[in-house]
Amino acid sequence: MEITHKPHFIRPCTLVWLTLMSLTVTTYAIGEANLGGWAIMLTVLGTAVIKVQMVSSYFMGLRRTRRLWRGIVLGWLLLVAGLITIAYLSTIK
Amino acid sequence: MPPGDLAIWFFIFAELLAFGIFFVAYAFARAHNVELFNESQQHLNIASGAINTLVLITSSYFVVRAVAAIKQNFSRECARWIAAAIGMGGIFLAIKLFELYAKFSAGISLSTNTFYMFYLSLTIFHFMHVILGMVILTAVMLKARSGGYSAKLHTGVETGASYWHMVDMLWIILFPLVYVIH
Repeated sequence: MEITHKPHFIRPCTLVWLTLMSLTVTTYAIGEANLGGWAIMLTVLGTAVIKVQMVSSYFMGLRRTRRLWRGIVLGWLLLVAGLITIAYLSTIK
Repeated sequence: MPPGDLAIWFFIFAELLAFGIFFVAYAFARAHNVELFNESQQHLNIASGAINTLVLITSSYFVVRAVAAIKQNFSRECARWIAAAIGMGGIFLAIKLFELYAKFSAGISLSTNTFYMFYLSLTIFHFMHVILGMVILTAVMLKARSGGYSAKLHTGVETGASYWHMVDMLWIILFPLVYVIH
């Protein structure tokens, strides 16, 4: 059912936008500080996972759809992030 | 059903799969050349990658506002938000071209080393998706401007929006993966 009054998703999306901007600045600061190591790697990759999930749920609006669609994107995200993590951790002696 | 035309979602999933394989291939190639990747990564411009992330995230937000506008039957407002998103896409491309120009001027090419092969092909592949996204958004904007969508019928706006969010999502992973993590 369509709505013609001001959509209720604007406010949460504005908050998500501001959060995404802050998280990006955090990742940038970590990059500029040239920090490395597995804890930093997990933090930065974890931040990216949260950001993608926010875009998918709120901007794309998948949180208002059937679980199947959210599940495909989330499954893709966790698989890719999981394999990247395995590849990185495999280099730590 | 997800927002927009169902066909775009099959396209989006195919794109996610292609980029996903590319991202994982990067990570495993790095695992075999850690020093080379870490050293080459030091020469990337993190600020330009970060600014481009902010630019794409903001353009995605503008597209959200365009969808909200058409749901209220505001065609012109919808077209204006999309135009703003396209403008941000243009800024992304300009920053990226500047970055690529600096790399090519320094004599870097696909054959320089494995890291640069991935860096250039991943970012250029993504660059082309930004261009395609802008073409789709332009078509949607023109139709919105001429009153082609309404509060009841606006699948086209959501289709373009979904594709554009995907382009944003991919950069959100690409930026930390290639520019930051080491």
